[in-house]
Amino acid sequence: MGSVDGRHLDKIMYVEDDPDIRAIAELALQEVGGFTTRLCSSGKEALEVVSEFEPDLIILDVMMPEMDGPQTLKSLRHLPETRLTPVVFMTARIQSSEIEEYLALGAIGVIPKPFDPMTLADDIRRLVKEQVSE
Amino acid sequence: MTNGANIPLHKRLQVLQDRFVERAQGDIQTLCNFADLIDRHHLERNDLVACYQLLHRMAGSAGTFGLPELGAAARVIEKQIKPLAEATEDSVDDKRDAVSVPASLAGAIRKLADLIQNPPQSKDSVAEPANDGEDSFGGTHGMQIHVMALAHSPDYLSGLVAELAVYGFLCDVASFSQPEAAVTRLKEHSGATIIMCVDSELDDVLSFRNENLPKAEHRRFPVVCVGHDGSFESRYRVAARGATAYFCEPLDMPEMAERIESLALERGSRLQGRVLIVDDDKELGEHYSLVLSRAGIKARLVSEPFELMSELSAFEPDLVLMDVQLGGYSGVTLARLIRFEPRWLGLPIVYLSSEDNPENQLDALAKGADEFLVKPVTDDYLVRSVRIRCYRARQLSDLMNRDSLTGLLKHSLIKQEVDKELARCRRSGHPSCVVMLDLDHFKRVNDTWGHGQGDIVIRTLANLLRNRLRETDMIGRYGGEEFLLVLPQCEPRIAAEFIGAIGKSFAELAFGVGDDSFQVTLSAGVASINDFAVADQAIEAADQALYERKHAGRNGVTIYAR
Repeated sequence: MGSVDGRHLDKIMYVEDDPDIRAIAELALQEVGGFTTRLCSSGKEALEVVSEFEPDLIILDVMMPEMDGPQTLKSLRHLPETRLTPVVFMTARIQSSEIEEYLALGAIGVIPKPFDPMTLADDIRRLVKEQVSE
Repeated sequence: MTNGANIPLHKRLQVLQDRFVERAQGDIQTLCNFADLIDRHHLERNDLVACYQLLHRMAGSAGTFGLPELGAAARVIEKQIKPLAEATEDSVDDKRDAVSVPASLAGAIRKLADLIQNPPQSKDSVAEPANDGEDSFGGTHGMQIHVMALAHSPDYLSGLVAELAVYGFLCDVASFSQPEAAVTRLKEHSGATIIMCVDSELDDVLSFRNENLPKAEHRRFPVVCVGHDGSFESRYRVAARGATAYFCEPLDMPEMAERIESLALERGSRLQGRVLIVDDDKELGEHYSLVLSRAGIKARLVSEPFELMSELSAFEPDLVLMDVQLGGYSGVTLARLIRFEPRWLGLPIVYLSSEDNPENQLDALAKGADEFLVKPVTDDYLVRSVRIRCYRARQLSDLMNRDSLTGLLKHSLIKQEVDKELARCRRSGHPSCVVMLDLDHFKRVNDTWGHGQGDIVIRTLANLLRNRLRETDMIGRYGGEEFLLVLPQCEPRIAAEFIGAIGKSFAELAFGVGDDSFQVTLSAGVASINDFAVADQAIEAADQALYERKHAGRNGVTIYAR
């Protein structure tokens, strides 16, 4: 757990405050993608359940009330279980400067919103694969 | 956690989409309430922030639920509100102070409602490349061309733009005394806007454009100048200052309309094309794709070479941007593979490479690629070079597919469009129409006023149709003075009313020859595509209705009755 070797990518935690997006992402990750998925509605909830769920990868929405995506990532890095867990950001802002900023925080990739539910899982697999080959 | 796992995926997606539409309707209602507050200058600071957040969410989510148009429109407004909202957040003033927001934003917000009441029909699948491909011949109409007259005292130009409005342009008059209102209106339109002025105020207009519009976008806002002095010196002066066109009194309205039309088509952001990026470096490829999409170019990334051929057919790009070395595959060989298929012989392939040795570049060019872009390329350079190449590629394919006089689809291609629409009607059950349209007594026009005037009449009608029809409608030049239209998702009665209104506008146009002028009417026949087994029969029926119209006194529309 923790580091992903590309062959073992099963459990994904998805953190997003918008319930509709959560629902469609659940379909995209679980039904289309075949992952085991745990949904959280806030960064706070994610921090509470992450140790028990032990995700192989975490997807964080950037813009959330109270604790936003980057803040959540920083807190996750303080927990021993998720110190190295790959994180992907999802954002509706598509400025390359921001994307670089997120990558500098230690995310392995950024998925732009709106995402296509039919290809979301592939996009994530590809991000992880590239991470491994680097 | 999963409820109803045995319900098929597409049904469940549909349920979520429906739920999203319901919520978005509520959101739009909330936004419309904000719009009312904007109009009454009662919008408070915290309302503005709430408004921005709603738009941001909509921009990021609508596309996922199959409403990309709504998402894009929300994004446009979000971008305009963002600086206002951010200024508010930093401000120390009371959050309940009223803030000033341009009234045009209220209008733009209300227009969001239209996008959700008539959502695009492809609901069963969120990303369907087949539908995506349908605009390969579109893109030149459905976009009403915006003309804005800018002056210190707008009296003279108001009369002029009113005459231009008859040609189907969206016309506007703005004064220098209210620069903000003018800027907001200019930014509302995604296509090109022609700025019109009198020659004595050209300098003021150009400095207005420099101060208020980003330099990179000046191309979209060409300045057209009107004056009284047609001398060489005067024209030279206007050209030297940077005007794109100059018209001298007395004005030839059809010619002016024609020039504005072609300027807008050339400068509009709609014609920026489709690019397939082939790069195994996903991050870099995605970056290119983002950069191009932000510039309005449709981009798709292929990072697995074996998917290349199927992506080409599905996406039908104007241009391929290819990395020279993709993991174990060679871009040079892939280019050759693309050329195996006759349909892609004319497709421009541009290499992205760090190869700066001219010998090796030449070698690659010999093997099937067209040009090199040497890495690293700046974002700006990438956009500009891709845009120019797409534009050229489009021009070439237009030469092959479009009628040279009118720019409309040629006979054989518009007939194919009828076939395609018939197939779509069968699949989804929606009603669609074909319209056969013909100029009345056109032979007399040619005989009396000469063929040159006849050509102007035909071109003017073509421009009017392009301006008035929807982007989804298809227009072809069928014969000499005959036009064939395909109007998807349209009942015959509505089609007849619509074409009748266009006919009325057309009949009002005066074509001038010296001191004389003449007018031309048109007749049309409408048939419902759904009533026929093959496309030819539907065209035949529209032709039959047109024939009846001609016998019933011309100048009007008849619907085919069995």
